[in-house]
Amino acid sequence: MIRKQTSAFLLALTFVASFALSLLPVSSVSATEDNHYTIATDVTFAPFEFQNADGEYVGIDIELLEAIAEDQGFTYDLQPMNFSAAVQALESNQVDGVIAAMSITPEREENFDFSEPYIDAGPVIAVHEDNEDINSYEDLNGKTVAVKVGTTGAQFANELAEEYDIQINQFEDSANMYEDVAAGHSDAAVEDYPVMAYAIQQGLALRVATEPEQGYPVGFAVNGGQNPELLEMFNAGLTNVVENGTYEEIMNRYLGEEAASAPSGGFFALLSQNFDSLMSGLGRTLVLTLASFAISLIAGTIIGLFSATPNKALNLIANIYVTILRGIPLIVLAFFMYFTVPQLFRLQISAFTAGIITLSLNTTAYIAEQVRGGIAAVDKGQLEAARSLGLPYGTSMQKVVLPQAIKIMIPSLINQFVITLKDTSILSVIGIVELTQTGRIIIARSYESGAMWIIVGAIYLIIITVLTKLSNQIERRLIND
Amino acid sequence: MTKLKVEGLRKSFGDNEVLKGLNLEVNEGEVVVIIGPSGSGKSTFLRCMNLLESINGGRIIIDDYDLTDPAQDINKVRENVGMVFQQFNLFPHLTVVENITLAPKQLRSLSDKESRELALRLLDSVGMAEKADVYPNSLSGGQKQRVAIARALAMEPDLMLFDEPTSALDPEMVGDVLEVMQRLAKDGMTMVVVTHEMGFAKEVADRVVFMDEGQIVEIGPPSQIFDQPENERTKNFLDKVLV
Repeated sequence: MIRKQTSAFLLALTFVASFALSLLPVSSVSATEDNHYTIATDVTFAPFEFQNADGEYVGIDIELLEAIAEDQGFTYDLQPMNFSAAVQALESNQVDGVIAAMSITPEREENFDFSEPYIDAGPVIAVHEDNEDINSYEDLNGKTVAVKVGTTGAQFANELAEEYDIQINQFEDSANMYEDVAAGHSDAAVEDYPVMAYAIQQGLALRVATEPEQGYPVGFAVNGGQNPELLEMFNAGLTNVVENGTYEEIMNRYLGEEAASAPSGGFFALLSQNFDSLMSGLGRTLVLTLASFAISLIAGTIIGLFSATPNKALNLIANIYVTILRGIPLIVLAFFMYFTVPQLFRLQISAFTAGIITLSLNTTAYIAEQVRGGIAAVDKGQLEAARSLGLPYGTSMQKVVLPQAIKIMIPSLINQFVITLKDTSILSVIGIVELTQTGRIIIARSYESGAMWIIVGAIYLIIITVLTKLSNQIERRLIND
Repeated sequence: MTKLKVEGLRKSFGDNEVLKGLNLEVNEGEVVVIIGPSGSGKSTFLRCMNLLESINGGRIIIDDYDLTDPAQDINKVRENVGMVFQQFNLFPHLTVVENITLAPKQLRSLSDKESRELALRLLDSVGMAEKADVYPNSLSGGQKQRVAIARALAMEPDLMLFDEPTSALDPEMVGDVLEVMQRLAKDGMTMVVVTHEMGFAKEVADRVVFMDEGQIVEIGPPSQIFDQPENERTKNFLDKVLV
C-alpha cells in the first residue's frame, strides 16, 4: 500500500492529476447514511458471481447478499471488478465491503474484518479431461500450474511448490486460467472446489484430480475498523437465511444436481446471444474514447503551445508533463488514479471517471508532442512574417502558424485517436465494463474464449476501420479547402 | 530628419560574434543599400533593425522609439516598419487578399470592405490586382514577391526593410520586383535593402554600405563606393562581383 509520502514524483503526478480532476465531476467521500453501501464483487467467479445471458449478476454471493440485505433492510450498489482490484478498493475505502468468495486468512484478517464464514471452499487441482497422469499433489512434480493472482489457490500452489518442483503461471481471472490448461500451456489449475465443480458442470473440458482441501472458510469483508454495523447486519442476516432455508436453496441452485448446463450453440449463437452486452460494451468504449480524446485535444494543444513558446518556464512545464506522462505505462496510471489518488485526497472516484482521467492524461501527453511537432514543421519564416507586420505572438500563432500546423498534424491525430480507442481496453483492469471486459465476462459464463476473442477483435477492427475511413474523408476535405 | 539610428549594435550566435559594433543613420526618404560577401552579417543586421533577431548590445532607434528599451511595445513600432523576405513568406492558407488584409483587420479593426479596398489598391500598385483571390501557391516567384511587398505596405509603414528580395527569383522575374521597389523609392519611401543586385544599388541607392566580417567597412554614395572605393576589401569584393 502506498503511504502518504510526498516525493517529487507523486507531487508532480498529483499536480497534473488535479488539473484533470477539475475537469470532471468527482464526488467527495459519501458517508454511508441511510443504510446504503457500495459492495464490490469479482467480475467473473462462477458460481459465486457472474453475469447470466441477460447481463444480470447472479451467483451464490450475489443471491446470498440479496437475501441478507432484504432480511436486514439495507441497500447497496454492486460493483464488479477484478478480485485484486476489489481488495485494493476496499483497502482504500473506495467500497464499503467485498463479497467475492473471499477466503478468511490470517494475513487478510490483519487488514480486514470478516463475517462468519458462509461456505468452505478448499482448493482442488484440476487438469485437462484427457489427462490421466495427474491424480495427486506428487504427480505435479516437474509440471506447470496455473493460478489466479491473490487467491488462496495461488497461496496453496506456492505451498505445494515448496515441496514439489512446480512452475507457477499467474492469471488475472479464472477464465484465462482454465483456458491455459485447456490449451495445454499449463498442466493443471488450482481453484476453489465450488468454482471448479460448477465450471466443469457447465461444460469446461477439465477434470477434478484431487479431493478438496479442508479448512478454507469464506466470508464477507469490510475494511479493518470500518462499517462495523454492516458486518453485524451481515452476520445476523446470515443466521436468519440459514434458519429459514433460503441458504440451502441458493446452494442447491449452484452446487446441487439441478445446476443446469448451458447449451453451446457455436459462433453465431454466441454472437447473437451476447449482441446486446457487446454493443453496450462497445458504447462504453466509444464514450471513453471520445470524452478522453476531446479533453486531450484541448489540454494537448495548450501544453503543445507551452513547449512552442519562447517562454522557458512554460517550456519546462510542458517538458515535465510530457516526460512524466509518457514515462508511465497506462495500466500503472489507471491503478494510480483509481487507488492512490483517492487515498491521498480522500476522494471517491468512479472507475469510469478515473478511466477518463487516466486516458486523458496519457493522450494529452502524446497530442502535446504532436502539436509541438506540427508547429515546428511550419516554416519559421511564417511567424517572422506575421510578427514583422506588428501582429502580437498570440495572434500570429492563432491566425498564421496553427492553421498550418493543424493540417500537418491531422494524420498523426487520426493515428492517436485509433491508439486511444484501443487503449480503452487497458481500463478493464479497474473494472470498467468496456468491450474487452464484456468479452471476458461472457467467456466467464460461456467458457468459449476461442470464438469470443475473434468476435471482440472483429468488432474493434470494424469500428476502427470505419472511423479511420471517416477521418480520412474529413482530412481530405480540410486539405482541399 | 533621422528615421533609423543604430548605435554600437552587437549580435552573437553562441560564441560567434556576427555583428561587431555597427553604427548607421538612415534619413527620412533615403534608400540605403547594404552589400557585402556571404556571411558578412548583412541579413542579420537587417533583421536586427526590427528585432526579429534579439541583440546582445547597442541601441536601435526608429523615429523616437528605442526598440531596445524593454518597456517599448515592439509590435507598435513594427507596424510602421515593413519587411520583405528572400523566401516571400506568404501565408499559404490565405488568399492573396487575405494575406494583405490580415494585419489591418487585426490591428486597425478595418471592416471587410475597407480592408479589401485597401488590398486591391496595393495589389494594383504592384501590378497584381487580377490575382487577388488566388492562393499563393499558384503564383510565380516574382508574383509572390510583389504580393509580399503589397502585404508589407498594408500597415502603411514609413520604413521598409528588404532582405535579399530578388535572390530566390528566376532571372526573368527580377526586373518586375526591382521596378516595384524603384517606384517605392521614387515615391519617397525610406528603404534599407540588402541585395546582390549591383545595378539596383548603383541606380537607386542614395548611399551604399559595404559590410565584411560583421563590420561596416565603408559607407558612401554609389559613385564613391563603386568607382573610387577607399578600402582594399571593398575593391576586392567589387572586382569579383562586377566582372
